[in-house]
Amino acid sequence: MKNIRLAIFILVALAQLSVPALMAWTRVRTLAEGRVWKFKTAPIDPEDAVRGRYVMLRLDAEDFTQSEQLKSIDSIYAILKEGPDGFAQVDHLSPSPVPADSSMKVEPGGWWQERQHIVLPFRYFWLTENSAPAAEAAYRENSRRGQQNAYVTVRIRNGDAALEQLYINNKPLVEYLRAQASEKK
Amino acid sequence: MISSESAGAIERHYGSVESRTNFGVVILASVGAALVGAGIILLIAHNWDDLSRAARTVIAFIPLLIAQALVVFTLMRRSESRPWREAVAIFDVAAVATAISLISQTYQIQGSFADFMRVWLLLSLPIVYLLRTTLGACVYLIGTIVWLFAHEIGIFVRSPDPMFFWVLFLLIVPYFLLRFLEDRGSRETAALAIMVTIALAFGLGFSTGFAKTDFGGVAFAGLMTAIYLCGIKFFPQTDDRLHIVALLGGIGIGVTAIVLSFESNWHMSREFFWGARSFHGNIAIALEFLFPIVAVCLAARDVFRRRVEFSLVAAVFPIVTAITWGIANLCETQAAQNVYGTNCSFAAAAIINCYALWLGIDILTRGIRSDSIARANFGLILIAALAISRFFDSELSFVTRGLGFIVVGAGFLVANILLFKKRSAAAA
Repeated sequence: MKNIRLAIFILVALAQLSVPALMAWTRVRTLAEGRVWKFKTAPIDPEDAVRGRYVMLRLDAEDFTQSEQLKSIDSIYAILKEGPDGFAQVDHLSPSPVPADSSMKVEPGGWWQERQHIVLPFRYFWLTENSAPAAEAAYRENSRRGQQNAYVTVRIRNGDAALEQLYINNKPLVEYLRAQASEKK
Repeated sequence: MISSESAGAIERHYGSVESRTNFGVVILASVGAALVGAGIILLIAHNWDDLSRAARTVIAFIPLLIAQALVVFTLMRRSESRPWREAVAIFDVAAVATAISLISQTYQIQGSFADFMRVWLLLSLPIVYLLRTTLGACVYLIGTIVWLFAHEIGIFVRSPDPMFFWVLFLLIVPYFLLRFLEDRGSRETAALAIMVTIALAFGLGFSTGFAKTDFGGVAFAGLMTAIYLCGIKFFPQTDDRLHIVALLGGIGIGVTAIVLSFESNWHMSREFFWGARSFHGNIAIALEFLFPIVAVCLAARDVFRRRVEFSLVAAVFPIVTAITWGIANLCETQAAQNVYGTNCSFAAAAIINCYALWLGIDILTRGIRSDSIARANFGLILIAALAISRFFDSELSFVTRGLGFIVVGAGFLVANILLFKKRSAAAA
């Protein structure tokens, strides 16, 4: 009985290890091999930007023009295209993730006067506690109407979308914060 | 020489003291394990900024590997120690959550909380069986309820498909049956039975919302009656007191009767469905029918065998509700485009009001007969709740309402005086 329990536990232990391991492995491959897309951040409600240890992202591409309201379906994919400014835009929504390096699963939102809202799977940019307050100030300062200097890079591979970096003033967040800190000194 | 009776009494006394001490150790060990786990996470988080992604990935797995090593040790060397089993189970389950969360944070993996809960519950479930942890099973059931709420909040669709709850729920049922067969009278089994009952109520609540029928009231009447009857049948008591499961079922019957006594619950308004109902939708409807059928079968079996140990008035609750539902649906009308309603809601509510009053009087008289102050007062509380509900709900004059309250209040006083007199006469 003891040996059977042990054998079953070994299988369980492998399952417990494989879930986070697979999550990490898929992301490592997407970040290494995926196609890069740039998403401009949208102006934000300042009170909402940082909650604890992440920046709450709002992206411009989450609102786009669509003449018809979405029909209720189980899963929906946004097919992306690159805009004239180099930033990603939603070309159209589709029930299947094709083409694989330009599409990702999204959550449907509201539709009002031919404007469709969707939620891209990048709501949070996780940070450490130390950098959160400075990141909040920087993101807020650069995501205002008239001064949208923040964007995120995302890599997509076979429908798997990985959030890569948050850029402020064309610098990765950590670098930008370091530069800001040394300027103050 | 010690007589066999005294020996039994001594054994019972020391047995209960031992089980209480054991329970205390289990709780302390579990809290200790949870604190150690939290401490490790905080230590890791301290220098998180300076670590590379690869280093963070390796670190995320360390608590899980330690927990798994402890599980192996417990299975091999401490298999009979309940505190070890419970504490290690909590540590392992917390370590799984830590690993998933840290990897998600490191690689900016978003995912919904409901998805996280689902994976976590499925990975934790085998630990409940392997380490025979009832505390773990209770926590697992709480997790299934949390999943229901997370799933509902996380999705934009109104009443999203909650049917995966039943898969999660059914996976823990064999463990409950094992505990029940091993020792149905233990405190552990009772605690688990309470959690099973609560989880069932939440599961059915979300499923009726998803099914979008107007049969939810009958389904709940069936569930509460089935719980009440199961509590009496499967947890028999030597004295006149009810087992906690039967008690929960009884309270559930009372509360459901009061809720259904409001006319607004019998408007039978429902949305018209476009197209065919999904497979999961059909299962949800089948579940709505299942509980009343189970309750009626359980009651009928004992009635035919002339072994009725339960309140017949309570047992007929699903039948009364089903008849009321039928009457309410007799005069169905189309209130607006795609929305259906009924003109018989007043008649339906009146039937349930009469039933709730009958139930309250039945519980009260049973309480007086069996000399149970708690039961008699529960009957009175039910009648008072009914009176208060009508005070807010109906258009009766203030004089009528006032007289009603005086009657109910006097009922409370008279019943309690009668009971206390009966008791003091018996004591003398």
